[in-house]
Amino acid sequence: MALRNCTRSVDGTIPVQALIYDDERILGSQDEVGIYDGAVKAPDHQAGTAYITSHRLFYIDKVNQRKRSFCVDLSLVGQTDYYAGLFTSSAKITLHLSPPKPIGIDAGEAGPSSVDPFSQSWTCEVCDYRNPPGLSPTAAKKCGLCGVPREAVPAPLASMSELSTSLPSASPPNLLMSQPQDAAAAASDNGPDSNACPTCTFLNHPSLRECEMCSTPLPAKKTGAKSMKSAPATRAASPDSFSSQPGSMKLSFRKGGDKQFYTLLKGSLRNKVWEDSTSIPLSEEGTSGQRSGIEGIMRNVQSTNSQAVSGMEGAFQDLETLMLKAKDMVRLAAELNEKLTTATAQQQQHTASGGTLLPDFSEPEEATFIRSSLSQLGLHMEDTPVTKDMMRDEKEWIDILAKELGRVLLGKPRAKSETAWQSDLPSTTQGLMRGRGIMALDEVWGGWNRARGVGMSSLIPPSTMMSVIPRLPTFTDPQIYTRTFTSGLIVLHTPPYTAASFAARLYQTLLLSGPQSTMDIAAEEAVSVGLAKELIAAVEQDGAVCRDDAVCAIHQRGAGEETVQWWHNVIRDWTWDGQDYDKAI
Amino acid sequence: MALSTVTLPSGFLLPSIHAAPPFFTQQPNATTQASATGHWKRLILAFARFHKLYTLSLADLEDTKSPWANVLRNERINRRLLPPYLSAILQDMNTSNQATFEPPTQKTSVLLYWNTPEQWADILYDWGVSTGQLNTILTFYEITEPALESALSGIPVVLLKKAIVLLQKNGRAQVISVADGEGVKLLPQTSVP
Repeated sequence: MALRNCTRSVDGTIPVQALIYDDERILGSQDEVGIYDGAVKAPDHQAGTAYITSHRLFYIDKVNQRKRSFCVDLSLVGQTDYYAGLFTSSAKITLHLSPPKPIGIDAGEAGPSSVDPFSQSWTCEVCDYRNPPGLSPTAAKKCGLCGVPREAVPAPLASMSELSTSLPSASPPNLLMSQPQDAAAAASDNGPDSNACPTCTFLNHPSLRECEMCSTPLPAKKTGAKSMKSAPATRAASPDSFSSQPGSMKLSFRKGGDKQFYTLLKGSLRNKVWEDSTSIPLSEEGTSGQRSGIEGIMRNVQSTNSQAVSGMEGAFQDLETLMLKAKDMVRLAAELNEKLTTATAQQQQHTASGGTLLPDFSEPEEATFIRSSLSQLGLHMEDTPVTKDMMRDEKEWIDILAKELGRVLLGKPRAKSETAWQSDLPSTTQGLMRGRGIMALDEVWGGWNRARGVGMSSLIPPSTMMSVIPRLPTFTDPQIYTRTFTSGLIVLHTPPYTAASFAARLYQTLLLSGPQSTMDIAAEEAVSVGLAKELIAAVEQDGAVCRDDAVCAIHQRGAGEETVQWWHNVIRDWTWDGQDYDKAI
Repeated sequence: MALSTVTLPSGFLLPSIHAAPPFFTQQPNATTQASATGHWKRLILAFARFHKLYTLSLADLEDTKSPWANVLRNERINRRLLPPYLSAILQDMNTSNQATFEPPTQKTSVLLYWNTPEQWADILYDWGVSTGQLNTILTFYEITEPALESALSGIPVVLLKKAIVLLQKNGRAQVISVADGEGVKLLPQTSVP
């Protein structure tokens, strides 16, 4: 009962962050929560996540997010109990709920309505400010700019009577929202509050005593709380939703988290954000806002300005401090760098004489870390050792790079003579080209530099890589060759992908298993489609294959189909077997 | 994939390559393309000779009732020649004197030379000799529509004129104006080769 009366169902497929009001905050959540309706388990709500916000308690069902999720306004919670759990019984929080007031009297402020009239955007009648939607009911009751209470949407009874006395000359409420109460007014088909002149029939404002047009005295009209009331929006409520007997619901915490959740719930209930009428989101000072009229607007603007100014001042102060410190930092960086350089230079002198160690991996980890941190700070170091300078001549440098690249591409090196540098390298088990056979140059470059690591000395410029690549076959096994396609694409490949062997393989495949599309071939060769295209184009250039383009079809098939099918060159290898030319006559 | 020859209802034997879809696609590879064009030319001329067809134009591609339909399209493999390809083939035939654009100002229609004008000239002369019509004035109509069917039946006047011009050159014929146009008188050869 309590569940049915006091909760509103929500669409749990929408994240809770999007369900809450603009001025509502999520305080915490706990999963694996079950719900008891009164003392009985609610069968439909046994596994879900509970969220506690500043205004509400959400339950998002795990099984049926759309249908079984709901929320409870914390304003309905009268009392809470905490049960710590015993043996197999899980910890529980009991919420004693007072159901929302019957809807006929109160305008359904917190009723189990799925359409919340407060969550619509509305225009203030006084200052014409268009209030955004998505505020909580309390916040939406006042204009965000001038602080004047909202008239059009009926407010709870208590606050309404207060309003009607304090603001007797409020402008006429929205006709759509109200319904005629007075018989005379109903007969003249007017809004309940406008007063029709008996002489000229002009609809006068209810507060006027004389007609605005013809100055005829107007008949007295009942105004006040009664006329301000209005029926709810068309919504048939089930009879038992009117019952005002107190109910309770329990949250059962199957996976703990109960204490924390209870603390949050208590805090939220204590703060009573929903009663706080300071609707202006900017107000940080927390002065309970009876701000209205021009004064309110002025104060709002002032507080916004002062906040902006203080924020700006803070930012500038930070900047000044940084500028003061910058000099020190640069000096420190230079010192550090100098020390590192001398240290590594000595080490490399030592290893270079051995001739086996790769310079890139010789720096201790700490040094690398410091260097990368420095470079991340943007502190440029001019005397950073460039790896290339370490080598005695260009050729040796290229050769060592070729060895390294070969290792990156193929994984473990095989040559026994290179065991020394093998042990020094961090062991990568898989080469870039393992199981690939062919690779575009850009990918090689990216992969290589990633393998070298950004923090390590330097990246390899593409120009250096281009001079390294011709040396690759010398140091790799299986040998890695370079190949340039007619389009200009350059790839590295293993022997199975040389032009001749690929052409032979493709020809055989097509001959045996019939025509194939580029996609098929790409899948079979485990290369990208773009690469397959290049490869096939090269074979076509040699004349081993020919194409069948589906644009030549008499009956075009559906669009999106791949049009070109590759054939072994039936045309080239074919001899005339048709009608004999000379026998025709 | 085994390709097989197909015999058309008319008795013409289509070569097996006609059943290969790539045959209908223009090949980017020049060597392959040259080979394909060669096959196409041979097919076209054989077909034209078999059915005594004298012209081929791009319009035949669209016309399913055209006598060429069985060659230019293959319903069995759902393939047809596209105009650019046929146009290229016609151009090639024109260059290699296997056809000529007729009328010469356009590029869409050709007169096929499954017999070259020289061959036609010999055929005409032989026919004149064999039917005993030397020194007789013959109208073009009498040649193209003879009472007795001949190799020259149905030959386009354009092609016939080309043959007569050749005969004229070596003194074996003389063009004479007759009442309703032109006529030709075949002359006995002065020097027997």
